[in-house]
Amino acid sequence: MAVPDALVSAQADRKLVRRMSAGDEAALGELHDRFSTLLHSVVLRIVGDPDDAEEVLEETFWQAWRQAGRYEEGRGGIGTWLVMMARSRAVDRVRSRRRFREERWDELPEPVESGPGIGSAPPSPLDSAHDDEVRRVVARAVATLPPEQRETVELAYFRGLSQSEIAQTTGQPLGTVKTRARLALQKLREALSVLREDAP
Amino acid sequence: MSLDMTHEDVQAALAAEALGALDGEEAAAIHAHLAACDECRRELARLEEAAAALAWAAPRVPMDAARSARMRARLLARAAADRGADSHTRPPRIDAVPVTPPTPAASRAADVDGEGVIPISRAPSRRGGNAGWLAAAAALLLAIAVGAWAARLKGRYDALGEQYAQVDTERGELLRGIARRDSTLAALSTPGVRVIDMASTQQKAPGGRMFWDPRRAKWIFFAHDLPRLRAGRDYQMWLITADGPISAGTFKPHDDGTAEMEATFQLPPDGLRAVAVTDEPEGGLPKPSTTPIILGTFGESAE
Repeated sequence: MAVPDALVSAQADRKLVRRMSAGDEAALGELHDRFSTLLHSVVLRIVGDPDDAEEVLEETFWQAWRQAGRYEEGRGGIGTWLVMMARSRAVDRVRSRRRFREERWDELPEPVESGPGIGSAPPSPLDSAHDDEVRRVVARAVATLPPEQRETVELAYFRGLSQSEIAQTTGQPLGTVKTRARLALQKLREALSVLREDAP
Repeated sequence: MSLDMTHEDVQAALAAEALGALDGEEAAAIHAHLAACDECRRELARLEEAAAALAWAAPRVPMDAARSARMRARLLARAAADRGADSHTRPPRIDAVPVTPPTPAASRAADVDGEGVIPISRAPSRRGGNAGWLAAAAALLLAIAVGAWAARLKGRYDALGEQYAQVDTERGELLRGIARRDSTLAALSTPGVRVIDMASTQQKAPGGRMFWDPRRAKWIFFAHDLPRLRAGRDYQMWLITADGPISAGTFKPHDDGTAEMEATFQLPPDGLRAVAVTDEPEGGLPKPSTTPIILGTFGESAE
């Protein structure tokens, strides 16, 4: 069954990871060049601080180097693999910071209602044509989500809130939060399926 | 939240798992279910693809070029060091054979092929015949030989280990040197770095060049043809501001008269008038006591 792969796990990326697992550090450099802007964008969006973002990014690439041999090709694209690692580390950092400061989510910098939100990333001429296309498709897909689903995704993905924290914050039952998360991701998946056909 | 989740419960919670939003107890129950359910694992992989694509929805913010270059250099240096530590590049492993006292039991302890060895247990000297003595003597000689061989191997192994440690130390120093060079190059190529040329105020034509990154408060200085210092003297670098000179540290030149120095000191971008190097007592002084050897007025060559 075809899996929508918005991040396009190109053969070249897989080859990089295979070279890394064989101990070729130049491949790690190439992986860095290929993905650092994407990963930095998402990590910075989550942690909000350039120093924290740099640390998270370095830890992520280092984890990729150490775990290159364990990357499962059937599981998903290299981009997905890297983004999941980077996001997880970024959210861990935000959560520990929040615990440390005993902050509530709405006291963190960059509240959801202000600043550039998800889906507002303008394409850049520096991106490759394909990256540009992915960015446009994702922005369009996110823009078509109903506001409550967007909010759920935003709170979970970029703010690092757990589903029970989201339920508490939005005043919705836990079941509703789960349903919104599921509907949002299903819609994204459908919207992104067009990219699968273009994938090399 | 019950830990007893049905397949349908898990399916309903997979999107939250893909978004990393599950709470601890439920996450544990779902991970346990996933370990045994192909269908849920496949569905989770699909949802994770969709969740990961959200990264493209974040505003595009490339990392600062100098930060990125430094991080890349660090990663490559770490990876090279890590690769060096892998087993396939280690010296061939020679397992030392245990050195045992030359007793009959040692012939069994030593891991040698049974061919040609007469185990004492198979030929007990019930009658006290020559065969038993011969076997014991053979075993004794063998144990001594094996012990000596093991001791030689152990010595060789230790020597190789020492050689390897020395090579590894040298390699680490080289890698650190390369990482420092990469970091310097990255700092020099940062956008916004200002360059101050420093000309001689004397006959022997020493000169220097200062790279200043005001955003990072980073100063990198290269000099050439510096006169050799007398004993007990240092060169001292000065940042000259409207409020007077500020020491940026002392240094000694190499034998060929060249020198490099790095310093971190916060100064407003419009706060610098000039940079200068003076010959001072070792350790430096709070204020310059001699005429500058080289001097660069900021604004002449910068920007």
